[in-house]
Amino acid sequence: LVGFVIRRLGQAIIVLLGLTFLTFFLEHLLPGSVARAILGVRASPAALAAFTHANYLDRSLLLQYGHYLSQLLHGNLGFSYRLNRSVWAVLRDELPRDLVLVGSSLVLAVVIAVPVGVAQAVRRNGLVDYTATGVSFLLYSMPSFAFGLILIQIFSIQFRLLPPEAPQQPSVNGMLLHPSGLALPVITLTLISYALFSRYMRSSAIDALAQDYIRTARAKGLPERLVLWRHLLRNSLVPVATLVGLSLPAVFTAGLIVEQLFNFPGVGLQYFLAAEQTDYPVMLGITLLVGLATVLGNLLADVAYAVLDPRVRYS
Amino acid sequence: MRAIRRERRTHPHPSSRWRRSGGQGTMAFTVILAALALVAASCGKSTSPTASSSPTIFSTVQPPSGSQTTGGTVTWAEGPSATPNYIFPIASSSYFSVTNLSQLQALLYRPLYWFGNNYTASVDYDYSIGQAPVWSNDNKTVAITLNAYKWSNGETVTGRDVLFFYNLLKANTSSYGAYVPGYFPDNVASASASGQTVTFTLKQAYNPTWFLYNQLSEITPLPLAWDVTGAGQAAPTGNATNAPDTTPAGAKNVFTYLDGLSKNTATYANSPVWSIVDGPWTLSNFTNTGEADFVPNPNYSGPQFGAPKATLAKFEELPYTSEPAEMNVAKTGPNNLTIGWIPSAQVPQTASVLAKGYNAYKFFTYSINYFELNMHNPKLGPVFRQTYFRQAFQELVNQPGWDTAFQHGTAVPTYGVVPTVIPNPFADTTETARPFPFPFSVSKASQTLSSHGWKVSTDGRTPTTCQSPGTGPTQCGASIPAGTALEFNLDYQAGPVSLDQEMKDLKSEAAKVGVILDLTTHPFDNVISTATQCTAGDAKCNWTAENWGGGWVYSPDFYPSGEELFATGAVSNQNNYSDPTADALIQATTTAPTSTAQTLLNEYQDYMQQQLPVVFQPNVAGNPVPGGLTIVSKKLGGFSVNAFSYITPETYYLTQ
Repeated sequence: LVGFVIRRLGQAIIVLLGLTFLTFFLEHLLPGSVARAILGVRASPAALAAFTHANYLDRSLLLQYGHYLSQLLHGNLGFSYRLNRSVWAVLRDELPRDLVLVGSSLVLAVVIAVPVGVAQAVRRNGLVDYTATGVSFLLYSMPSFAFGLILIQIFSIQFRLLPPEAPQQPSVNGMLLHPSGLALPVITLTLISYALFSRYMRSSAIDALAQDYIRTARAKGLPERLVLWRHLLRNSLVPVATLVGLSLPAVFTAGLIVEQLFNFPGVGLQYFLAAEQTDYPVMLGITLLVGLATVLGNLLADVAYAVLDPRVRYS
Repeated sequence: MRAIRRERRTHPHPSSRWRRSGGQGTMAFTVILAALALVAASCGKSTSPTASSSPTIFSTVQPPSGSQTTGGTVTWAEGPSATPNYIFPIASSSYFSVTNLSQLQALLYRPLYWFGNNYTASVDYDYSIGQAPVWSNDNKTVAITLNAYKWSNGETVTGRDVLFFYNLLKANTSSYGAYVPGYFPDNVASASASGQTVTFTLKQAYNPTWFLYNQLSEITPLPLAWDVTGAGQAAPTGNATNAPDTTPAGAKNVFTYLDGLSKNTATYANSPVWSIVDGPWTLSNFTNTGEADFVPNPNYSGPQFGAPKATLAKFEELPYTSEPAEMNVAKTGPNNLTIGWIPSAQVPQTASVLAKGYNAYKFFTYSINYFELNMHNPKLGPVFRQTYFRQAFQELVNQPGWDTAFQHGTAVPTYGVVPTVIPNPFADTTETARPFPFPFSVSKASQTLSSHGWKVSTDGRTPTTCQSPGTGPTQCGASIPAGTALEFNLDYQAGPVSLDQEMKDLKSEAAKVGVILDLTTHPFDNVISTATQCTAGDAKCNWTAENWGGGWVYSPDFYPSGEELFATGAVSNQNNYSDPTADALIQATTTAPTSTAQTLLNEYQDYMQQQLPVVFQPNVAGNPVPGGLTIVSKKLGGFSVNAFSYITPETYYLTQ
């Protein structure tokens, strides 16, 4: 397993380099000049030239990319000329808040989806199954912005029970002091993720229930509770583990709509704005981060396979 | 790097002072309630006011209800993802924004001259540190006496503080966002300060009004305590002859130091540098998400000279990630947001927002709105250089119709290069009194093209072509070969719904006279950076028409003389417009004596209305908030609107 992890990490570096390369060159295909975009219509030619030179933009694309990599190796992710902050500061300040928001949603979604999925499988084609399936389809087909707006309309505007925006405190501790503000964005993300996870869980559990080892366990007289807990649950979790692993990058990006709707400035929103406003340093910094999360998510999913299913071996 | 984090606020944020109508509900309760409410909603029941009622939109500030109180917190909505991020008043182009200048810096560091109060585009000496400038030497020398305002460190604001600004600017022109080569400070031959007076001797005579509104308007006195090149250094005295700013190299070093400090936004609220203010407010909190909280400057000396002192306990500028995010908070009422806005696209929801306790206003900035045709485009530049074509194209723009249909009545047509919707002394009253010479008329546009040698196509698909090349009065014009087709790309900002609707309508109307527009959209920054000055041979000169959705706000160049916009080669003349008569008129308006200045300005704007150097489109309301209606709590008194989006929360008070 250790060798496998080392190999995957080695591949990750190549993947990350490829990602930054693609992002860098694709962004440069957009029309217009970066200096003019950043400095605006009032900028004098001298100011444009000074900005272009100071930001290495008067070099060839390859040289610019090489300069970026060189800075990266020195631990410098760059400086955002749009935000007047270093990229590191942007990530350091906003990532923890995103982790709380999307991380808690992910955990909640799994915690709800797994037992519901199992219950649906066990009571297949019954009232519980039909009801849960209907709810899942409803949630899964609903765009997050629409769902969020409905929640705000009901809980914030109509009944004034919860704030329409996430806590505005810049730190995680500050956010946690005002948990009521987290309720609606977390519910929005949770229920939409739940819909997907529960469908997978149901399907996986139905497959597992048809396996010989379940029939054998029941034939041996093992109580149903133990059959489900020891034999069904563990074996059904493999596809869900994959999904959760692949959801890790979503921590940084899936929150975009929710960030916009619930006034929660996070990494997803910064990436969107950076792409719109040709803020290369921020865009490349977040690309690196998402790439890293993707690789790590896959790695975690693979490790989870091995843990959940001893038959899976990596050499 | 951000070294300081504020875990707690001295005052709770709207999220934490959220007002509930009931007690703490459990999650189970809320989920059940949600289900019930969804059912209720699906049955068509609603307790909200309907959007179909006609809300009253005011154009003048309404008195508040209730009696005045002292203290309290007023919250104000920043634009979506437009948060202040640069505190040093000499901002480079990257940070030269209304957000930074008007909504952060001006609250702390008062400009030498204050413009735009009471919704008029003129100087307000009560709010200005400088008294009216005194001219001599045939308008080549101007002396300014400063009111003896106090810095919060106890020092007096003097002429030397103006000189400090001038020295820094002169040594760092390329780092200043409003710098125009040849103008301030290049046009100053010498500058000196003595006590409360600063004197500029100019290289030539200038129109005094123009110089006040477009040159002196850029000055913000800076405290000598900032005249250092590093932390811990002793600041020079006013009489010191070896102060760092007195040499170009020293001034560069001071600028580098202050610019560097300004790049560390985390330190703004607690900085010993930035806390030295002469304005009515000091910064108490500044977060990395863009929230700026202000408390009154206890040492503010403005009241001695006619400027009011704050009575609020706190003024908070709150960031929003999107228009819906701000609207959702506004819909919960003024307890959570005192001053906000309703985006144009959501104006139909105005009634439901006003029912929460707001008044709605339609306020504009001193600006014009337009989009540009590239007159150096290798293929169609010669067509765009024809005045008759620009006139015909303008007649395809249905400005009143767009306002009604797409802007929901929140816009006004742009009919000239000098704004008219805000009262100002510069608009030509004769021009504003007469009808716009090029109103929406497809038939007139068709007639104009036909009479200039074009074979007008009316099938909506085939482009109109030039069939009579040449420079005669009935021919297409210089450098336009026979067969040239009127088909080109019009690129506009992606995102705003109303702009998208307007451009699609223009495409439809233009097609009726065979002007075939290929519409594309790009993010704002791409559009604005594609519309760039160029020569016909440049690869970057292939653009034909670019529309970034906004035109030009005359600030801090408050005098609408156009030397930055329409003079040949001017820095913001993106579409390469060039006309010798226009150049001469612009030059005359900037240098004329006071006695003839307005006559020349009238001549200039009348000429430009015929010239149409750009394509005029409706100007959308939005002041001091982003585009749309301004909403203000009915419990807020002292609210006023500045023509240039400066805000004066020191006049605000809450009522009960």
